[in-house]
Amino acid sequence: MKKVLVLGASGNIAPYVTPDLEKDYDLYLSDIVPHPDGKPIINVDITSYSEVLEVCRGMDAIINFAVLRDDPVVSFDVSTKGAYHVMKAAAELGIKKVVHTGPQLVRNAYDHEFGISDPPLAPGVGYYGITKYLSMEICEIFSRTYDIQTVCFLFNGLGAKPTEHVTQGDFPPFTVVWEDLQHACRLALEIESVPGNFQSFNLLSYFTQGKYQVEKAKRMLGFTPMGGLEDYFRRVTNST
Amino acid sequence: MNILITGASSQLAQAIATELKDDHSVRLMDSVPVDVAEGCDFIQGNILDPDDSWDAVRGIDTLIHTGEPPTDLPSDELKREQMLLDLATRGTHVLFSAGVEAGIKKFICASTLSIFNNYPDDVYITELWKPLPSPEIVEMTKYLGELTAREFARDHLVTATGLRLGELVLEEAVQGETPNLAWLDIRDAASAFRCVLNRDSSNSAEWTRRWAVYHICADIPNPKFLIDQARGIGYQPTHDFQSLYLNPSG
Repeated sequence: MKKVLVLGASGNIAPYVTPDLEKDYDLYLSDIVPHPDGKPIINVDITSYSEVLEVCRGMDAIINFAVLRDDPVVSFDVSTKGAYHVMKAAAELGIKKVVHTGPQLVRNAYDHEFGISDPPLAPGVGYYGITKYLSMEICEIFSRTYDIQTVCFLFNGLGAKPTEHVTQGDFPPFTVVWEDLQHACRLALEIESVPGNFQSFNLLSYFTQGKYQVEKAKRMLGFTPMGGLEDYFRRVTNST
Repeated sequence: MNILITGASSQLAQAIATELKDDHSVRLMDSVPVDVAEGCDFIQGNILDPDDSWDAVRGIDTLIHTGEPPTDLPSDELKREQMLLDLATRGTHVLFSAGVEAGIKKFICASTLSIFNNYPDDVYITELWKPLPSPEIVEMTKYLGELTAREFARDHLVTATGLRLGELVLEEAVQGETPNLAWLDIRDAASAFRCVLNRDSSNSAEWTRRWAVYHICADIPNPKFLIDQARGIGYQPTHDFQSLYLNPSG
């Protein structure tokens, strides 16, 4: 089994993804806080290069879920400098696969458009957006130089798939359900290479609004969202 | 015009100050003490410190961020890398945030043409080409600083300009050397900052007009880096390293 380091394993994303991945990958969960489900955690502060380098030894791949969203100092330390440490360690140790994540960075620029699939990113100067955007640039620079295959997933919201019918409510924009993110992470861990060694992909699970799309993830990664989730939001009519 | 120039201890900042001080009120900033040219003010402070940045930008009309590091960088390689990364990303953000808050409308940020070194020499590079920086820390952080500056033009009604400078030299100091396609005499570099002072797109509804980037290097025969865009704002380099091209053997 591939050894995969998961940084930010106790955060808002990883605990919903790793239970599925651990069936097929030898996961090493790391964070600076305990895991919400009590799983063993390797204490790693991503702002410390020596700690990142040490925990990366022997790994086949790294998934970086670490993020600090809106702080004038720590957002830069965790999201930007942390990504620098991850990519520097990957380069130093010869690790050839990194999975990175970040927020959608397009809604500010395109939210009044339709048929949008992976346009240029428009991060702005908010701490969350700019620090993650800079982290992606760092990932791309290292990936190009050291032949590291890096896949970056961008999304707005994450959550469970609906389990019951929703009345008088629309589905959330740019939101991916856990199962689709798990599927995407598997694809990222298995894909041999991506063009330019670095690619970012919008991820979402609801499509019938005709607004945001995931054509690039479908085309390059083979991403096949589970689909049909919009049916939970259908309005009841006389014919249904 | 009241102008703040960061990185006061650098040759670049001092050349810009010399270029501008007779026509403008110039304040220089650095985290280490610096003797500045007569007629210029100096403020000591670290751009990473919001209070220092706020003190520096008060009363300023145009902010010139050289992105040049202070002279007291850590000697430890990793700490130096981390400091340069911090200064270019968070430092630029803190400084520009203070500037926006203080009402500054014009921001100029120095970057580097070395972000195109990954391209072969048999192409003409203009501002339309995608930068391909390497992980070399100075090159990479200059680029990250440029990107950070650009985002302020996206989000705020300010004019922000990136000047991608060639390799800074003094023409008389490189006599006898093999010419470099990216060479730029530091005095010409300083003149490029003057050219940008009058660029004002702050009220444009389109952020792509509020932000602009220019390539700045010497006017040499058979150039790799085309400077037509910069000529459009009045850039006229005078140090062309002509003797080295006319007499390659030096």
